[in-house]
Amino acid sequence: MLEIKMSISENETESIELLTKEAEALKQKLEEERQKLNDVTLATVAERLEFINFLNNIKTRRHLKGHQSKVLCCDWCTDKRRIVSSSQDGKIIVWDAFSNNKEFAVSTPSTWVMACAYAPSTTHVACGGMDNKVTVYPISHEDDNVKKKTVVGTHTSFVSCCMFPNSDQQILTGSGDSTAALWDVETGQLLQSFHGHSSDVMAVDLAPSEIGNTFVSGSADKTVLVWDMRTGQYVQSFEGHLSDINSVRFHPSGDAIGTGSDDATCRLFDLRADKEVAVYSKESIIFGSNTVDFSVSGRLLFAGYNDYTINVWDTLKCVRVSLLFGHENRVSSVRVSPDGTAFASASWDTTLRIWA
Amino acid sequence: MDMMTSNLQQQRQINEQLRREAAIKRIAISQVVQDIIRYIQDHENEDYLLKGFSSQKANPFREKGGCEII
Repeated sequence: MLEIKMSISENETESIELLTKEAEALKQKLEEERQKLNDVTLATVAERLEFINFLNNIKTRRHLKGHQSKVLCCDWCTDKRRIVSSSQDGKIIVWDAFSNNKEFAVSTPSTWVMACAYAPSTTHVACGGMDNKVTVYPISHEDDNVKKKTVVGTHTSFVSCCMFPNSDQQILTGSGDSTAALWDVETGQLLQSFHGHSSDVMAVDLAPSEIGNTFVSGSADKTVLVWDMRTGQYVQSFEGHLSDINSVRFHPSGDAIGTGSDDATCRLFDLRADKEVAVYSKESIIFGSNTVDFSVSGRLLFAGYNDYTINVWDTLKCVRVSLLFGHENRVSSVRVSPDGTAFASASWDTTLRIWA
Repeated sequence: MDMMTSNLQQQRQINEQLRREAAIKRIAISQVVQDIIRYIQDHENEDYLLKGFSSQKANPFREKGGCEII
C-alpha cells in the first residue's frame, strides 16, 4: 500500500515539474507574441495630430459642501444632473449638481463608505465599505429609508467599489478579499464570483457594449484582469504598473482600458493588441493616482492624485494638457457626467467639485 | 498527499489559463492605434470638455446670471 502511494506521489511530482515547465514556456510565448506586434508607439502615430488648446476654459463651476468627513466616492445619475457621494463618516448624499442642493442624505451604520453607485432607474443608490457589505437604499423622502435598505451581498473583506451593470437588477462589486462578485439585487444571491487576483480588488468597470458581458478589474496585485461575466474566468491579464492599481476605466471605444496607480502613473492597455500602449507620467508627478475617467471621445483622461491635483492627459500624444487645482486634500474620485458636459471630483477635503 | 494533489490541481488551472491567454488573437499596435484615433476623431464634436461649448449659454453648469428662464 505504501509503495503504491509513493509511486502516485512520484508521478505527481513529475507532472508538476512538467506543468511548471510548460507554464514558463507559455509565459515566454505570450511575451514574444505581444512584442511581435509592437511595431510603433501611440505617441509617434499621434505626432501628426493637432495639439489640444481649448482646455483653459475648464474650471470649478460648483462646489458641493455638506459631508463632515473625507468624501471617498461619487457617481453620476443617468439624468446628468444628480450625483451620489459617500463619505468616511458613513453618510451618503444625493446632490442636485445644477442647483448645489442636497436632495437626500442617509446615515449608514458603517464608516468608510468607499463605494457608491446610482441605479440606472434613478430610484436607488448602492453603497459599500468597511462593513464588507453592498447595500441598496431607496431614494425617497420618507423617514424610514434606513429600514427599507436591502443588504444585497457580503464579502469577507471591505467593499472597495460597486456598480450596476446595465440595469437595477444586478450589482458588481470588488473587494479586499481579492475577488469581484456579481449579485442579484432582489434575492441577494451571489450569481458569480471572480477569482484570479492575489490582492485587494480596488476597481471594476463594465465594457461599454450593449451586450455587457465583459468587465475589467484593477488590483493591489498590480495587475488588470479582463473577465467574461458569464463564465467567471478572466480572458486577459495586463501587467506593467509598479504598484497598486486604484482605478480602471474602459475607453469609450471599448477597445482599451485606462488605469491609475500608486506608482504615480496612469496607463492605457489595448485589448486587441493585448498590451500596454501608453504611460502617462511626468518626473514632477510623484504622488499616486487614485482615480481616472475619460472624456466622451476618449481623447482626455482626467486623473485625481494624492497631491490634491487633477491632471488632464492627452491620451494620444501622451502629454499633460492641464493641471487643475482646487481641492485641499487627496482627490479620491473623478467621474465624467453621462453626457460629457462636466466632470465631478470628490476629495478628502470633505467637498466635491463640478468642473466644466 | 492531499497537499500534492491540490498543488497539481492548482498548477493545471494556471496552465489552462495561460494556454487560453496565449491562444488569443492579437492585432498590431499600428492598427489598434489607428482605430483609437479614428474613434476619437469621430466623437470629438460631442466632447464638450475637449472642444468647449459653442456658447457658454449651452453649458448646463455655467454660473447663474442675473436672469434665468425656468
